[in-house]
Amino acid sequence: MLQLSNISKIYRTKTIETTALHQINLDIKQGEFLSIMGPSGCGKSTLLNIMGLLDEPSQGHLLVDGQQINNYSSKSTSRFRNEKIGFIFQSFHLIPDLKVIDNVELPLLYRSISGKERRRLASEALDSVGLANRKAHFPSQLSGGQKQRVAIARAIVGRPKIILADEPTGNLDSVMGDEVMDILINLNKESGATIVMVTHDERMAKKTDRLVRLYDGAQVA
Amino acid sequence: MIKHILKLIWNKRGSNALMILEILLSFVVLFVILAFVFFNMEREKLPLGFDYEDKWRVSLDELYQQDSVVIVEAMTNLQREFRDMEEVKSVTFTKFMTPFINSVWQTSSDEHGFEIDVQVVMVDLDFMKTMGIQINDGRWFDEQDLSSEQDPVLVNQRFMDKYFPDKSMLDSTLMISGEHKLIGVLEDYRYMGEFSEPWAMMFVLEPFHENHHFAMLDMKDGTPATTEQEIVALANRYTNQTSCTVEYLEKERVDNNRDQWMMIYALMAICIFLCLNVALGLFGVLWYNISRRKSEVGLRQAMGAHGGDISRQFIAEMLILAGFALVIGLFFALQIPILNITEYDDSLFYKAAAYASVIILVLVFVCALLPSLQAARIRPATTLRED
Repeated sequence: MLQLSNISKIYRTKTIETTALHQINLDIKQGEFLSIMGPSGCGKSTLLNIMGLLDEPSQGHLLVDGQQINNYSSKSTSRFRNEKIGFIFQSFHLIPDLKVIDNVELPLLYRSISGKERRRLASEALDSVGLANRKAHFPSQLSGGQKQRVAIARAIVGRPKIILADEPTGNLDSVMGDEVMDILINLNKESGATIVMVTHDERMAKKTDRLVRLYDGAQVA
Repeated sequence: MIKHILKLIWNKRGSNALMILEILLSFVVLFVILAFVFFNMEREKLPLGFDYEDKWRVSLDELYQQDSVVIVEAMTNLQREFRDMEEVKSVTFTKFMTPFINSVWQTSSDEHGFEIDVQVVMVDLDFMKTMGIQINDGRWFDEQDLSSEQDPVLVNQRFMDKYFPDKSMLDSTLMISGEHKLIGVLEDYRYMGEFSEPWAMMFVLEPFHENHHFAMLDMKDGTPATTEQEIVALANRYTNQTSCTVEYLEKERVDNNRDQWMMIYALMAICIFLCLNVALGLFGVLWYNISRRKSEVGLRQAMGAHGGDISRQFIAEMLILAGFALVIGLFFALQIPILNITEYDDSLFYKAAAYASVIILVLVFVCALLPSLQAARIRPATTLRED
């Protein structure tokens, strides 16, 4: 599903050159639940951003669902990202001025789907994370765990093949973290979605199919 | 997407209300100023109905204090002397209703419920020739009219359009402060200048009237200024006074219009200043909004929005806000012509409303464009990590 070949990412300024990722090779199968671990600043989020086509590698090739991505800022890449990839962020990134249902609908806005259908799909997604009764709430009226479940609903509403989760339990207590993790595991099992999760939490990482460790931008395990 | 933007706007209605208010107030000020400017421009385009080039006005201010016989004699002599001058093409004597003097002689009549309001101008036989008046229908006064049993009068075209539209009233009797026989219709005589209100006017023949205060001279092109001394000397001699003066109508016209032009320029400057202020305000607010909403932009890009989607969204948000303000503004502005609140032409207000709306929309679009394009260039990987 995701093939990374010799992926490197180097940030350059006038005076300094920082290597964020060095020669990463990964082959992630369809339906796999992979976690990436490593200390802060080791390049986990950078790697996730490259997998999510939000950032370009300095070197190497990336194949997503068999398709090589060349122009990261093109319209077709945006459409591809919209259809294939769902994102979950540590800080939820819900739009505070939109109700829960409208936040969940967000990815569908960039598809040719009628308003009625969007609403139906968003409702279904919210049902699947147990938030059917919070549709008309604003994010500020939800707990951290609920916010993350809304973010999961938003990630799955477009039925993407890949879900990229950047420390989805990082801002949650252990109970809520477990709830969110259970939802992701069920999602992986039931829908067959490929999930790549960045985490600091060894306990959460152990629940996934495979663990990849990064250190100073390099893959160590 | 429009529905989505409307939701965003509605959910932020508190802060958006201020933006709408700002745009609404700008629209109102623009509408009022543009209506004023268009109103004056329309008036300025109307024909004056007389010539002002090479026309000199000699004031005979103290003449009316003398005996009527002396006045008539003085005018007769002056007319002869002026006519004899090589530089003078023609001469006429009038009352205060001369160009660029804000003096009005007004009368009205009500015959069986038919009300007529007119400004009256007293003229002599040479008035038309001297002032370059255009006759639309009928004729100007002639010698026979001096002994006519029924007072002959001319009216201007506005009089006809207002009181007898699509009718020829030549040789008919008009009942306006007595019986008058209509002998002709002239184009106009807007003697108070281009910006003055057009009036229905009636011209009455009164040569050498004791209340005539001015002699108007039609001078040959290129007459030297030294001729002025000669004319003043003649006027002083025949009127037994020392205070006669000569004014040039061309200069009087410029002086007369100056205040109005100053007002128009000042209002236009206010308009431009206002537009700049609004533009800077909108630009700043939008720039601030976008920097505050960077993570939202990043998120939308992560969700599949293309740069074009982002810039279109921000521009659409601003245009919709402006649209709300314009709908409110237009609702009130258009009550003026719809309810006939003023006596002015309805088209003036429609035109001012249309121009004000277009200016506001263009302004908003231009101000939204750059920040929106900037938003489209935001890198999601950076902004999503920042938050």
